[in-house]
Amino acid sequence: MVNPIPYIDLAWLVPAFPLLGFLVTGLANKSLKHKQAGIIASAMVLLSFLVSLVLFFILRSSGQNEATITLFNWISIGGMNIPFAFLIDHLSLTMMLIVTGVGALIHIYSIGYMHDDERVNSFFAQMNLFTFSMLLLVMGANYLVLFIGWEGVGLCSYLLIGFWFKNPAYNYAARKAFVMNRIGDLGFILGIILLFITFKTVTFSEIFSQAAAFPVGAPVITLITILLLIGAVGKSAQIPLFTWLPDAMAGPTPVSALIHAATMVTAGIYMIARSSILYNLAPLTLNIIIVIGLATAIIAALIGLKQNDIKKVLAYSTVSQLGYMFLALGLGAYSAGVFHVTTHAFFKALLFLGAGSVIHAMGGEQDIRKMGGLRKKMPLTYFTFLAATLAISGIPPFSGFFSKDLILSKAFEHSVILYILALGGALITCFYMFRLLYLVFFGEQRLAGAHPHESPKVMTIPLIILAVLSVFGGFLNIPSLFNGDSKFSNYLHSAVVSKASEELSHSTEIGLILGSLLLLGLVIFFAYRTFVSKSMIPAKDGEPMSFFSKLIYNKFYIDEMYTAVFEKPFGYLSDFFYNKVENTVLDPVVDEIGFTTARVGSLLRKLQQGNMSFYLFAMVAGILLFIIFILIV
Amino acid sequence: MIVLVILLIPFIAGLLLLLNRNAAAVKLVALASAIVSLVATLSLVFTAQLSSYSVIWINFLEIKFALGYDGTSLIMLILTSLLFPFIIMAGMKREQQNVSLLYALILFTQSALTGVFLAQNAFLFYIFWELTLIPLYFILLLWGGEGRRNVTFKFFIYTLTGSLFLLFGIIYLYSLTPGVHTTDFSAFSNLNIPANTQIWLFWVLFIAFAIKMPVFPFHTWQPSTYTMAPTQGVMILAGVMTKMGIYGALRFLFPVIPLGVHYWQNTIIILSLIGVIYASVIAFRQTNLKTLIAFSSMAHVSLMVAAMFVLNYYAVQGLLFQVLSHGVTIVALFYIVMLIEEKAGTLELPKLGGIKLLAPNMAILFLLVVLGSIALPLTAGFVGEFLIITGLFQQSIWFAVFGGITMVLGAIYMLYAYQRVMLGEKRPGSGNITDLKRIDYIVLIPLITIILVLGIYPQPVFNLVEASVTTMQNLLVPVAEVIPALPL
Repeated sequence: MVNPIPYIDLAWLVPAFPLLGFLVTGLANKSLKHKQAGIIASAMVLLSFLVSLVLFFILRSSGQNEATITLFNWISIGGMNIPFAFLIDHLSLTMMLIVTGVGALIHIYSIGYMHDDERVNSFFAQMNLFTFSMLLLVMGANYLVLFIGWEGVGLCSYLLIGFWFKNPAYNYAARKAFVMNRIGDLGFILGIILLFITFKTVTFSEIFSQAAAFPVGAPVITLITILLLIGAVGKSAQIPLFTWLPDAMAGPTPVSALIHAATMVTAGIYMIARSSILYNLAPLTLNIIIVIGLATAIIAALIGLKQNDIKKVLAYSTVSQLGYMFLALGLGAYSAGVFHVTTHAFFKALLFLGAGSVIHAMGGEQDIRKMGGLRKKMPLTYFTFLAATLAISGIPPFSGFFSKDLILSKAFEHSVILYILALGGALITCFYMFRLLYLVFFGEQRLAGAHPHESPKVMTIPLIILAVLSVFGGFLNIPSLFNGDSKFSNYLHSAVVSKASEELSHSTEIGLILGSLLLLGLVIFFAYRTFVSKSMIPAKDGEPMSFFSKLIYNKFYIDEMYTAVFEKPFGYLSDFFYNKVENTVLDPVVDEIGFTTARVGSLLRKLQQGNMSFYLFAMVAGILLFIIFILIV
Repeated sequence: MIVLVILLIPFIAGLLLLLNRNAAAVKLVALASAIVSLVATLSLVFTAQLSSYSVIWINFLEIKFALGYDGTSLIMLILTSLLFPFIIMAGMKREQQNVSLLYALILFTQSALTGVFLAQNAFLFYIFWELTLIPLYFILLLWGGEGRRNVTFKFFIYTLTGSLFLLFGIIYLYSLTPGVHTTDFSAFSNLNIPANTQIWLFWVLFIAFAIKMPVFPFHTWQPSTYTMAPTQGVMILAGVMTKMGIYGALRFLFPVIPLGVHYWQNTIIILSLIGVIYASVIAFRQTNLKTLIAFSSMAHVSLMVAAMFVLNYYAVQGLLFQVLSHGVTIVALFYIVMLIEEKAGTLELPKLGGIKLLAPNMAILFLLVVLGSIALPLTAGFVGEFLIITGLFQQSIWFAVFGGITMVLGAIYMLYAYQRVMLGEKRPGSGNITDLKRIDYIVLIPLITIILVLGIYPQPVFNLVEASVTTMQNLLVPVAEVIPALPL
């Protein structure tokens, strides 16, 4: 019997604050002035963060690993019992802290960034709703509550990507995000239903305790994990459902930070880590995840090499980093995946907010070919951006090093080829990130007439905090190699069952690290020579390019392919059904039958005065007489 | 006795309206009548005792005027009485022709619909079934839009054809009853008709319901009728009439000819799923918003029909829940369609756009209804469709996949339509649009509240229908051993 933990019931406050913020800023939209909406919204998320922190300590001091808080019975019919309940355990607490912590910083930053937008109140309402949905997602104690949040973040991303709704291209990007997510969601909901049919419940703890009875490779578990995976692929922007994420940068920059770092895309990783027990029973699915993750990591990194929009480079880097997280999941190293989620949340939020600061300073310009020399004009933004770049590139002792190295060493344990491919992707990442850094901050200013300036404090302070986290965040999980005790992984141990694997010997590990560091150093040097010493600027649009450059500049033509294979044919099919099937076959056939009847009717009309109401009364009377006639005779 | 009162309130109020010529007063009386009906219907929910009413009507035929209800009829009655106040309010503060006749006809329709759901024998059921058609016919013919003459005629012939089959079926069943013939539903369900007879009788009875719902390919009257119908007419058609088809099928087919149902089960499910996909795909490229929503409604109702023929516990729970949810959502949608037409003067999507700039509150409420329509969690639509897809999954994973595609396709066409109407730059057509008036809030806010409340706390509805769902799902279980389903 589990003892109730005092005060743990307060967990409902965590999603309640942003919900309240959404309602207040949403309903009082017209009457809130100046920065009020931003302050309210930020305060709400900050309060959520504080409550999450308190919950963290409450759970720690209780000596228990988890607690379930049931609010009410949502759906309870027949054998189906789905409570609206939250699960507070080490995994959900980790995610809650990331979502509210990083989320709060993004909210605060937005007060400065969005200060002159006329719909700033709606913006904060939607940001709060986004945070609320994400909290439902990570706190739900069963798959269906998770699904509420899952679709909720889809809705909020739709709203925020299309925030500037006058622009048709943005609206298209918003719809694309929602529809691609929905394709994934269909797989996910079918997976949840199959879970219910198999286990007669959708509650995590009940499913996982029953799952032990299934053998490894049981077909039904494999099918369930694949269906859930489809959902994760959509939400976490993996191949083949990744093209919505780069387009999602149509929204205001803080939205990108929220989508890419704290919320939304991490949901797929979270869900698979949450379902680790099921995935451990499905080696086939794990192998699929490895392939998807690695392919996404490398292809997105390649595309990142040739992008010239500062946000687009970062967007593809997110897709690529998510690929690494998937790789970790596929290797059964779930806590390594979640650890990379954590460090990635720090440095990716920082990168996007830094990019926002740059765009803000450049008066809305996003093309890195027109930037340059910002190092001196915006030193704070530069140093924080540098920290994030070092972190994402995996340079020690920055946070990304620890999380990426963990994934790489797991890959090495699995197979050397996997390791080489993953390392290759990491080197590409390092190159395009330094390309970005050098083009934006080094050299001479290339845009004439611009007067870049450092951003206000409300924007730079979040940058500084995130920079500190990006630099030191890795120390949460120092491996035994560096005399650490892998705190983070151990903390997750009670909630996430990672696959056991043989530890590499320390000498092998040191060798791998030194080797990869040497290569990273070479890549940075090469990037420096190309973009700083030789001051090379990427080609203008329309200039001739080599075949390979053209291919990756155009993102492997995947968008064009989807348009040709799915979008256009869907339109044709719609026209075909309507013009040919409906209006040429079905409808005329029925009409023909109708006209025949009408001709008979017009003959009969000669007997009457042609009064429609009379017909109707005659009809009812006729029916009655007809029945009586038949029955009497 | 309450059931008789519920049946007569709208009828008597309708007669009174015919005597009055003051437009505003007529509308108020109609609304008052509808609200009284709603209260009376809700009183059925809270009284433990079942209300019924029965007198001998046509003596020598042993036909009784018998009214009563069970969980299924109760859901239908709640739907009817819940929607009619909104349907009436949809005409308030608006210029309309010939007001007293219009509202009398609306109330007559309500009365007839109530009769359908209360009738305890097939004869009475059939009379009311036909009676719904007459006032509605005039509403469409006199207040309809472009091409109303031809379209109404088509609608009329279409449904009448179905009714004739139904009539034949009822008479046939009547002739089969042992001893003194009767048309009581209870007698019909004890007939034990031979399997071979049930197999052909199925189509005789089903056709009328299939046309009303409508099931592919008997739907071709629907898009044109919805498009030309006046707002209040289309609300009645889409909100309540479609459910009348579902109700009829539940009453006539499953208890009376379970073997026939079982035999055709997969055929109908597949036809319905074809309807789901077909209508959703067509909706995508419609240029008229009302036609688009007509096809979307067909897609949603087709999914409900598929659920009905799966007839397992979750499917039927989902179906009956969706009856309410779809009714409320579609009425809200058509209300917004009316607003757009009023304000912009057109429903052609290429001419619309940027309305959100001028009417931000309308844009928000429209979005909420759209979200309900595409079954986002925490709206009523999600609960219903989740249960329906669960039920389909128990029958076959492919049924669930094809039924579930509606989630994706619905998002595609609804958000596309929303974008084309509301977002983007201002169009010349949306020149002098104003935001919502008070009456619009009075209609839309409660409807949206119902959509959200049912999505967050659906339990009361489940409890209401629990008993009749259990009865119904037991109908097909023993049958499966008697006769194999039509092989596919």
